[in-house]
Amino acid sequence: MTKSNGIILLVDDEPWLSEALAATLESKGFSCVFATDMTAGIKALEENSVAALVTDIMMPPGSQFPHVNANEVGFHFIDYVQKHWRGLPIVCLSVIGDHAKIHLLTRKGIRYLRKGETPLSTAVEVITAVALGRKVRI
Amino acid sequence: MIEDGTKRQIDALEAENAALKEELEESRRSTTQYLQNVAHQLTAPLGAIKWSIEALKDEAVPIQRKGKLLSSIYSQGTILVHLIKNFSLMSNLEADHELGQFRDKPERVDPLRLAINLANDFQPQAAEGGKKIYVNENSFKEIFDGTSILVVKNLIAQALSNLLENAVKYSNLRTAIYIEAQEVKLPEDNELFLAISVRSIGIAISSHEIKKLHNRGFRGSTAKQKIPAGTGIGLYIAKRIMDLHEGLVLVRTNGNETIVLLCFPQSRVQ
Repeated sequence: MTKSNGIILLVDDEPWLSEALAATLESKGFSCVFATDMTAGIKALEENSVAALVTDIMMPPGSQFPHVNANEVGFHFIDYVQKHWRGLPIVCLSVIGDHAKIHLLTRKGIRYLRKGETPLSTAVEVITAVALGRKVRI
Repeated sequence: MIEDGTKRQIDALEAENAALKEELEESRRSTTQYLQNVAHQLTAPLGAIKWSIEALKDEAVPIQRKGKLLSSIYSQGTILVHLIKNFSLMSNLEADHELGQFRDKPERVDPLRLAINLANDFQPQAAEGGKKIYVNENSFKEIFDGTSILVVKNLIAQALSNLLENAVKYSNLRTAIYIEAQEVKLPEDNELFLAISVRSIGIAISSHEIKKLHNRGFRGSTAKQKIPAGTGIGLYIAKRIMDLHEGLVLVRTNGNETIVLLCFPQSRVQ
């Protein structure tokens, strides 16, 4: 299978969830790179030309951001990415239940998918659409 | 007109009332946070299992990837079973502790066999982080010398599982985890215990935090930063189980190395 659709960066400290997502995305022509904390996520963005970022919220900050609270890392990461990689499509895959925070994310143009509840097929469809610059109709 | 003394009493009661309200509010907040945490702990492996099954059903996913997905389902299943056992044990252990007796009859258990079985159980989970669990068989032969421990097998297996789960979770990637047997003499009264220990390299734990590790729900600050999700009940349950066996849970650290010991009194070694 040629991986012509581009690179998806999956940032999550629970890699077993990324495994199923990556297997399906790769079968649809994407390449996947992985990172398990914010520091590694930024490094992966610097080293790869990424078509879309999929990130969790609760994860370790890594060595470059030791003072960022692990429960909030994803928010800081998204802000950082939006500042330095303007226009990069971002999908947030998390279990946060705080509607105000989810609303804030969506206002920033982030697609929010709830972990454990969103079917894999839906997640793949959303990620594929944002990576290819298509409108998401879910 | 209220007398000064009465007014002071009213003020004191009002202050006490405000403090109690604040305490109650804090307790509510921590309960909410704890329940959210527990929900996350259950959702994460279930979500991974659901997605792995969906990916397995997808004909476009190559067969080589499917083997890895099956291993992932097995690992997540192990995590779930272990987690649910811990939750159900919590209430039973409280009751047993108050009664000061076991629900089940203690039986003779071979500590080496127990260690090997549990190491095998956690090996797939450890392998995901490039880690490996080793059982130091010679140390068991030397310390236990073929004897058994008289314990409630399921409870001790759960206590040792909790130690292994923590070691797998918090140890550094691509490191080794050792299960060993050793003698422990308490400095305060020279009482001798025989212990099963789990040694790993990972997070440095401060002496201040070691004292709190047995508290229900407590998680060290570095641990929370490294692995945000966690219930903080593993060592609490292990301690409750060892209390029931007149034993101890000891935590020793040396820089990044942590050794957690399940210590059995000699009366339980037969």
